[in-house]
Amino acid sequence: MNSARDESLSLVLIGGSSGSFVIFEDIIKLLKNPVSFAVIFVLHRGKYSASVLPDLFKTKTDVHMSEPHHLDPITANSIYFALPDYHLLIGEDHRFYYDHNEPDFFSRPSIDATFISAALSGIPVKAAMLFTGSSQDGAEGMKLLAEKGFPTYVQNPEFAEFPRMPEEALLKYHQHNLLEEDKFYKTISDLLS
Amino acid sequence: MVVIEYTQLEELIIRIRDISGFDFSGYARPSLLRRAGRYLAKYDMDLGALLDHIEPGGSIVYELIQELTVNYSEMFRDPEYFKRVRTEVFGYLESYPTLRFWVAGCASGEEAFSMAIMLKEAELLGRSLIYATDLSNKVLTSAREGVFTLGNTRTFSESYMMAGGKHSLSDYYHVAYNQAVISPELRKNIVFSLHDLTGDGVFNEFQFISCRNVMIYFTLELRQHVFRLLYDSLSMLGFLCLGKRETLRYSGLEAHFKVIDSTLNIYQKIK
Repeated sequence: MNSARDESLSLVLIGGSSGSFVIFEDIIKLLKNPVSFAVIFVLHRGKYSASVLPDLFKTKTDVHMSEPHHLDPITANSIYFALPDYHLLIGEDHRFYYDHNEPDFFSRPSIDATFISAALSGIPVKAAMLFTGSSQDGAEGMKLLAEKGFPTYVQNPEFAEFPRMPEEALLKYHQHNLLEEDKFYKTISDLLS
Repeated sequence: MVVIEYTQLEELIIRIRDISGFDFSGYARPSLLRRAGRYLAKYDMDLGALLDHIEPGGSIVYELIQELTVNYSEMFRDPEYFKRVRTEVFGYLESYPTLRFWVAGCASGEEAFSMAIMLKEAELLGRSLIYATDLSNKVLTSAREGVFTLGNTRTFSESYMMAGGKHSLSDYYHVAYNQAVISPELRKNIVFSLHDLTGDGVFNEFQFISCRNVMIYFTLELRQHVFRLLYDSLSMLGFLCLGKRETLRYSGLEAHFKVIDSTLNIYQKIK
């Protein structure tokens, strides 16, 4: 079952909550087929959110997008979205795993759940980013990723629509790279090239 | 959050098995890792301290197994699933004089209660028997009492309405000592009993099996074994319902089922 495993796989992790949707949309526009890594977006959404993100974003990029199924292999040149009401975990075997246990900080999906599992998976993380939101979620995961030596980027809270999420991440770990307002998309674009 | 690595998790699995005989080796590692981390955070200890504490004869290992296996449960989880079962499945079932349902991995019983309510509203409950099983005696005790936290009733009521409920959820429980208790009338057709999907075998034949958000906690190999057990427990043309993000994919039994709803994962056994 592990034949799909690609040893050169790397991940780009992107997390956000309130106010992050538009940023996600702009990042997706930056992604052009082919990309040499897998991009995983975790956006806090309501439990009954019926919107299917790959459909909403389908005119923005030509890279394949999906809300993966449990046990689906993670492959490069793909964009993945965590579904509402489940935690999306990343396995050592390069597969996605869903988890339906308690929410973290009232959130399911939780950014921490995905980011921590990625940090422990042994799959290299090319970059992890955290944007606006009014929750503490993501701070633990970002810290662990940084401690594992992966590049971590946090939106400067000063210009975040909801500063709490990037602030909490910086409180927990001071040395995340800051994404500044004037070079925001330029920096992200360079990271994704 | 206390972070443990995969190698340490294997150490914990072996330790638990040596002391209690309970084998987690068929459990999906990513979620086990998350649960173990949350357990350690809850008790504010690191893995070393936990390994020192779990001793033969002590109660800690059983509490730990309990926490690592118990599933979080809600009434009318995924309301559209219940709606679909009512419209697509109940019609088929009406022709049977008696009906046997199995809620596999029922945790504290919410799914079984939800099913009983749906059956009552479809006037099928009188000839139905719902077997609700779990591997934990502790959650089964709570399920038998029919108690759920009052704080959840509002969310549950919303889900019940979204599932197409015909009355008010509060018609089906009463409040006592700040807890909600499911009415005895609904409970009398539910049999709660101990059953471990990973080790125990077929114990009856069912027209309907719901095993939602249970198999996501098993490895691919164990999952195939459990799928086989569910398949063998279903009568021909019986229904198998999985969690919203689980599919028959990678089960080895895809050809034996007809897809009734590919989004909500409702399947019918056809061969």
